[in-house]
Amino acid sequence: MFRYIVKRLIEIIPIIFVVSLLIFFFIHLVPGDPVRLAAGKEATLEEIERVRQELGLDKPLLTQYVNYMQNLLTGNLGHSLKTGLPISDMFENRFSVTMTLTLMSLGWALVLGLLIGTISAVFRNKWPDYVGMLTAISGISLPGFWLGLILIQVFSVTLGWFPTGGVESWKSYVLPSLTLGAGIMSMLARFTRSSLLETLKEDFIRTGRAKGLKESVVVRKHALKNSMIPVVTIAGLQFGFLLGGSVVVETVFSIPGMGRLLIDSIAFRDYPVVQAVILLFSLEFILVNLLVDILYKALNPKIRYDS
Amino acid sequence: MKKASFLRTASVLLFSVALLFGCSSGGGNGSGTPAASNGGTTTGAPQKDQMVIAVNENFITMDPQNTGDALSSGVQSAMFEGLLIYDKDLKLMPGLSTEYSVNEDATEYTFKLRQNVKFHDGTPFNAEAVKINFDRMSNKDNNLRAYRNYKYIKSTEIVDEHTVKVTLNQPFSAMINKFTTGIISPAALEKYGKDITKNPVGTGPYKFVEWVQGDHLTVELNPDHWNKGAAKVGKIVYKPVPENGSRVAMLKTGEADVIYPLPEQQVETLNGEEGVKVERTPSTITRYVSINMLKKPFDDPRVRQAINHAVDKNAFIKVVKSGYGAQLESVMSPTIAHYAKQGAYEYNIEKAKQLLKEAGYENGFTTDIWGNTNSDTMKGMQFIQQQLQKVGITVEVKSMEEATLSDEIYGIKSPEEAKMNMWYVSWSSADPDNAMRSLFSSENFPPAGANTAFYKNDLVDQSIKEATQSSDQDKQKQLYGVVQENVFKDAPWIFLAVDEILYGKRANVNGVYITPSGGIYVREAAFQ
Repeated sequence: MFRYIVKRLIEIIPIIFVVSLLIFFFIHLVPGDPVRLAAGKEATLEEIERVRQELGLDKPLLTQYVNYMQNLLTGNLGHSLKTGLPISDMFENRFSVTMTLTLMSLGWALVLGLLIGTISAVFRNKWPDYVGMLTAISGISLPGFWLGLILIQVFSVTLGWFPTGGVESWKSYVLPSLTLGAGIMSMLARFTRSSLLETLKEDFIRTGRAKGLKESVVVRKHALKNSMIPVVTIAGLQFGFLLGGSVVVETVFSIPGMGRLLIDSIAFRDYPVVQAVILLFSLEFILVNLLVDILYKALNPKIRYDS
Repeated sequence: MKKASFLRTASVLLFSVALLFGCSSGGGNGSGTPAASNGGTTTGAPQKDQMVIAVNENFITMDPQNTGDALSSGVQSAMFEGLLIYDKDLKLMPGLSTEYSVNEDATEYTFKLRQNVKFHDGTPFNAEAVKINFDRMSNKDNNLRAYRNYKYIKSTEIVDEHTVKVTLNQPFSAMINKFTTGIISPAALEKYGKDITKNPVGTGPYKFVEWVQGDHLTVELNPDHWNKGAAKVGKIVYKPVPENGSRVAMLKTGEADVIYPLPEQQVETLNGEEGVKVERTPSTITRYVSINMLKKPFDDPRVRQAINHAVDKNAFIKVVKSGYGAQLESVMSPTIAHYAKQGAYEYNIEKAKQLLKEAGYENGFTTDIWGNTNSDTMKGMQFIQQQLQKVGITVEVKSMEEATLSDEIYGIKSPEEAKMNMWYVSWSSADPDNAMRSLFSSENFPPAGANTAFYKNDLVDQSIKEATQSSDQDKQKQLYGVVQENVFKDAPWIFLAVDEILYGKRANVNGVYITPSGGIYVREAAFQ
């Protein structure tokens, strides 16, 4: 197991290298000139050229890439073209904000998703199942920005329970994390339900029931654990969706996180910031999927990685 | 074995649960406390002392000499002052100078400086401080945006402790407006170097407290301000809230005291809302469609005039701007100096068809219109499309993401290369030079400038040049009058509307205004 993890960690290096290469050339291929945007509509050509030189954007693309990689290897993410601030400064508060938001969303999604899925499976085709699945369908189909605005209207404006946005206290995270988690919660609920229904048909479950075990014990101790494998897969894959969703949710709830930074930077063609954010997102995604594979092993000892 | 692995799974799940409930323990019993947070320092004080102003975008920089966006300037105006300052109606008033004189040919400005003024860091404000600032801006190598306006300065001389003389290398009529640029503490410039963008130190009514990137920027009352007592609120927090609906919600709950901008279509939701006021101000923003005059059939003035007659401006304001705004009756907003009203191209389909017939386009033609992806822009472009359809002109609507659009328009090698036919756009300016020279002088054809209609008229070029170099207000008025008259007649644009600035505030907010150019004026901020 340990050897496997080390191997996987080493594998990350070339992946990140390829990702960085792709991001760099893609973002530079997109039309739009950060220098023009930075200099403004009334800049003279001379001014624009001066700024271009100052930012090093006049050099050939390959030279720029080599510089960027050299900086990256020394842990220097570079400076924002738009604000001139070091990117590490810009990440300082934003990273923890987005991390808190995504983890809280995943938390909601796991707890509620497993709960709804299990109840739906156990009470298959009875009203709790219908209610549960209706919730799940809604969670998938409602667009995030719409759900967010509705939650603000109900819980902030009408009831005054939670703030409409920002990151003042834990209260600020409740509505956005519900909004962000809704989609994944629904996916998890549906997968838990179908996977649990499959497992409940298995022989070992019949054995358990024949032994006279309580139904609750059968479900909790035997069926649930065995139905978790597909659910964990989905949770891992959906983590990328969380990062993407954070862009929308952070905008609706005016949360100063990485998602909003990404959107702002793309609009401004702030190359170094876009590169840094996507790189970080990729890294997170890779690590989460590594974690999922490790969880597999924990859930199902039959899966062997070391061979 | 098995047990251990199950425990591991369980612990991951438990961790998420703990995270959830760990966060949500401590209150949360819905005790109906208002959501508005007052920075946690108001211990039941009766007098509210913190004002929250929610705006729509992030601030970019706090260096007033290197700022290009109205929002950053709007925030800076609380902390910085120029030798002159704009009041809430964009009138110039004395700032860090008490009086000034100009020589005959407008090349020498002598300022008497206000005495006993200190920067927020205690550095005294004097002639030397002015010189350091002006030298910073007029030095090309510093690559500051203000260089655009300060490149006209040949030298800044210290006459005595409280007098400076600024000499220009050529007359520049709009120079006086440029003396509103904020003046930074020389000690802070020295101390922070490049980081001055994050550490603003000026002389204004408010001092910088903190700027949490992307979340908020806080300023507090400057007790030593030279105009002490005008501003009364202890703290102002500026918050970028990009989503329109969220900004409106913040105003309703009282989390925000002022919100700007307030989208036209959201005004309805606030009307009749308890404790909330909607404010309207005429703006410096003109809304128009730029027509590429180098391309057929737009090289024929009759075609451009026909298009202007074919568009119903009143309907435009009603449909696209929800009734907020006024017809554009010249090439700039009435809020700008030397404005000369030209009237309007009356809405007359018959006349439009007649003009098209004369120009040889009896059966109309096909073209396209460009604009950004903003929903209001889309609405505007579709409106134009539908109006021109009535006179047989088929318009294809092409919306592009802002940076791509900018690249298509300005990223060309030569004017002949321009692919644009019509561009739905707006322009905001503070002075007539910036409203006319940038847009109608033939030296400003893209890629060199913003004359996107590729408008060229020798009389207009000459008049702009003369006006720029004149210090005589009457002469400027006459010359800029000539420019407005000719441009309006030549119709390089579809003249649509002048925007209205809409903002919302709580009923107990006094002395906070959004200026016509979108600045945030807080010099008299107070709660009732």
